[in-house]
Amino acid sequence: MPLDSSPGSASLIHPQTLMSIANLEMRARVVVEGFWNGIHRSPYHGFSVEFTEYRQYTPGDDPRYLDWRVFARSDRYFIKKFEDETNLRCHLVTDLSRSMTFGSLGFTKAQYAATLAATLAYFLYLQGDAVGLLTFDQSLRDYLPARHRTGHLRHLMLALEKPAGGLATDVAAPLQRLLEIVRKRGVLVLLSDFLAPLEAVEPKLIALAACGHEIVLFQILDPAELKFEFTGSTMFEDSETGRTLFIDPVTARADYLRKLEAHSAGLRSVCQRLGIAFHRLATDRPLELALFDFLRERMQRRGDAKRFGRRPGSGAFRK
Amino acid sequence: MSFLVPLFLVGGLAIALPVIFHLVRRTTRERKPFSSLMFLTPSPPRLTRRSRLDHLLLLALRCLVLCLVAFAFARPFLKKPVDAQPVGDAPRRIAILVDTSASMRRANLWADARARVEAFLARTSPADQAALFTFDRQLRPLLTFEQWNAAPAGERVALVAGKLAETAPGWSSTHLGNALIGAAESLAEPSGQPAGGPRQVLLVSDLQEGSRLDQLQGYEWPKGIQLLVETLKPRNRDNASLQLVVDADESDPKAAASIHVRVSNSPESAREQFRVGWAAADGRSFSGPASEAYVPAGQSRVVLLPLPATPGLTNAAPSRILLQGDAEDFDNSVFVVPPEPVRLNLVYFGKDSGEDPRQPRFFLQRAFQETRRQSVQVVSPSPSPTPAELNNAGLLVVADSLPDNQARLLRDSIAAGQTALFMAKDPATGPTFAHLLGIDRVELEEARVANYAMFGEIDFSHPLFSGFADPRYSDFTRIHFWKYRKLDPGSIPSARVLAKFDNGDPALLEIPVGRGRVFALTSGWQPGDSQLALSTKFVPLLYALLEQTGRNFVPPTQYHVDDVITLAPAGGPVTVSTPDGAQSILAQTNFTQTGAPGIYRLASASGTRQLAVNLDAAESKTTPLPPDELERLGAPVSLPASAAVETARQVRLQSAELESRQKLWRWILAITLGVLLIETWLSGRASRRQAAPQAQAQ
Repeated sequence: MPLDSSPGSASLIHPQTLMSIANLEMRARVVVEGFWNGIHRSPYHGFSVEFTEYRQYTPGDDPRYLDWRVFARSDRYFIKKFEDETNLRCHLVTDLSRSMTFGSLGFTKAQYAATLAATLAYFLYLQGDAVGLLTFDQSLRDYLPARHRTGHLRHLMLALEKPAGGLATDVAAPLQRLLEIVRKRGVLVLLSDFLAPLEAVEPKLIALAACGHEIVLFQILDPAELKFEFTGSTMFEDSETGRTLFIDPVTARADYLRKLEAHSAGLRSVCQRLGIAFHRLATDRPLELALFDFLRERMQRRGDAKRFGRRPGSGAFRK
Repeated sequence: MSFLVPLFLVGGLAIALPVIFHLVRRTTRERKPFSSLMFLTPSPPRLTRRSRLDHLLLLALRCLVLCLVAFAFARPFLKKPVDAQPVGDAPRRIAILVDTSASMRRANLWADARARVEAFLARTSPADQAALFTFDRQLRPLLTFEQWNAAPAGERVALVAGKLAETAPGWSSTHLGNALIGAAESLAEPSGQPAGGPRQVLLVSDLQEGSRLDQLQGYEWPKGIQLLVETLKPRNRDNASLQLVVDADESDPKAAASIHVRVSNSPESAREQFRVGWAAADGRSFSGPASEAYVPAGQSRVVLLPLPATPGLTNAAPSRILLQGDAEDFDNSVFVVPPEPVRLNLVYFGKDSGEDPRQPRFFLQRAFQETRRQSVQVVSPSPSPTPAELNNAGLLVVADSLPDNQARLLRDSIAAGQTALFMAKDPATGPTFAHLLGIDRVELEEARVANYAMFGEIDFSHPLFSGFADPRYSDFTRIHFWKYRKLDPGSIPSARVLAKFDNGDPALLEIPVGRGRVFALTSGWQPGDSQLALSTKFVPLLYALLEQTGRNFVPPTQYHVDDVITLAPAGGPVTVSTPDGAQSILAQTNFTQTGAPGIYRLASASGTRQLAVNLDAAESKTTPLPPDELERLGAPVSLPASAAVETARQVRLQSAELESRQKLWRWILAITLGVLLIETWLSGRASRRQAAPQAQAQ
């Protein structure tokens, strides 16, 4: 790993410090600018720009975009894709359900996810990419289509700043909705704890991958959830359903960790199978590293694309 | 150690509360929100740990506090040996009153009464003295204190039982008030022995509603005499009764003869359908068709029964009315003697025939109306009246001058007991008046009346005018007298002036003559003399006069058992036949042997008379008296069974006193406060200890 990714590194801002900044946009800016400073001389830039492509005309396409010069040359109709359209089209899909309100570090997972989403949005915005936002709990809450306009970032920040709520995390239903809304191919960044049965999530991920989307999946978990180092028997209350269970953490810990790891491993294997980038983020991990993970992922993917002709997944998805 | 209010000890059960709180404390405390429970399995609560009691000392202290409070509220005290009870040891004087009225004839009452008396006597101590009385209408001593004392101690109870076995309930009504007063006075009587112990009256009675308690009202119950009441409960609560309704004398003598009887049903009765009719000779079945009577419980109905066809008083004629359909038959028959009309002749000595409305006889004839009970006729004397004719007349009215021999005849009759009314029609009747009175001469002179005269002074104390004594009827001023004859009452010895005119002249005088008497009116009642005959006072005055003769006496239609019957002097011995067939010869004029209901026949030289003696209607009111009725009348009632209650009350009082002297609860409360202080300190220390590691952990 070329960058020091340890949380204790001096050049990185600890999330607790970051979260003390009230303004979401300011937080995003701090992270991104810190990142820019850190990778100032790094060669990773310009990756988002897609080359313009021609596509054979099919009935139903807008005739305005016909490339008459190609037609003159080859006597065939080709649709010319504009530059802005061919730019990176990124949708940040953020989970703001009740389960995301859990946090043991003074901030919640939802706040962390929102900050991460804002950071990514700001970063991409600076690059001139179109960023859209989709927040959900048990259903879709806000949808901002991917755009690159003045003021769009502001709307995005506002939508992200809404407090998390909802009763349940139904990852499947919002993903299904996402399938319906986002028709154009692009990058989908999923930010959630994915604390839902794997069987419900997997088909939607398959469908999204099949649509040609490039998917980056961040599973955001609190350190307390990862370590489960509670003491004393307590009534544990499910923050979504309100269900209570009397649990002795000492006895339950091993079983819990096993199940959590199994779930994460399952999710990771699904992602691997579908060519989805999977990152498990503990909320005490500095956001710059998350951003770096994201970019590195993108770089690898570019390489992959070069190597494998930009086709994600198996050969079944080839055109 | 004893407790005044041991019920409060139950409050000690409250120690379960702190135990429960200590147990449930942990489960209810603290809920930890967590993102998702999907990876968590409920770990079964480790019972050993959960049910363990933390802070055992604290728990013990809290339980102790509750126990102490409950203990203090129960008011403990240390029992000390109580002095021996003086109550009940002193010899008692007991008057036992046993009801023998007719209502005691009901199914089980008499046997019950005897059993109660014997049971009571069995509880008495040998030092006690008792006297036995029975009562119905009168109080009858069966066994006096002296007889009790004279009997050996072991035989006293048997003596009383024997006396009771000899008696049986009679037919009389219940005069409970009299009996109680009599019994109380027998206890109050100073006897040879000093009355140191309590004095008690034991009343054994069914205490029916018909008991007469009026006498108790004006009686101050002697202090220190306790009234114990043994109320006998009849097995059978329903009772219907039959009574004769004393109807008013009907003015129409020709109206169909019938008799009214009232059928009353007691409030607790279950039966409602009864039959009423004339009894056959055997006294158990009906001789003719019976009337149906539907009487709901607590109500009464009057039934009209036609008199038997033969109104004559023969032995064969039914004289008993029977009620059927009732369980208790002691009051189910009524004896009836149809009233015998009284016929009276008023012999009028006067010249007028009665057809002339200006003459006195006209008004006299119309004053007396014939009724079924009484028939008064105004007759003229025969040309030569016999003494018998005069003696049998109801009243002799002299309204004119009479020949001397007739006047003398009249005088003899009056002297033998006859009553005469003399009307001074004019001054010429003076000699006749003098003859009647048997004196030489009476001066009569026509008074000079300026306008009119009226009664000025009337002796309302005289029986003749006593009916007018009420201020509503005493106004005689409306009666104007135009003419009257002046008379000097001083000239007639022993004359009593009953009424005077407003100027002081006598208007009406009463002069006794021999065994009889003469009433003299100095004016006439015909309109020529006065307005008397036309006034409303005339007829009542004449009837009052007739009553003075004692000849229009209508005997009451019925007597009650034990009534004293006054007989008219018959001038000879009277043979009395009682209903059970016994005959006796009566020497005096009062007949007292009416001990049983039925028809009594009185045979004398002048004829035979029948009397119906019935049960007192009050005796049929068998509903029990309200229990506080005797208390209300001032008799301090205490139930015999309450002796144990009384002892318990005494013990309770002593306990209360001991407790209030010792006041142990104060000490216990002080200890409780001390324990509470320790508890507070301990729990404060425990919570501080708990808080410290948590603060460190944070």
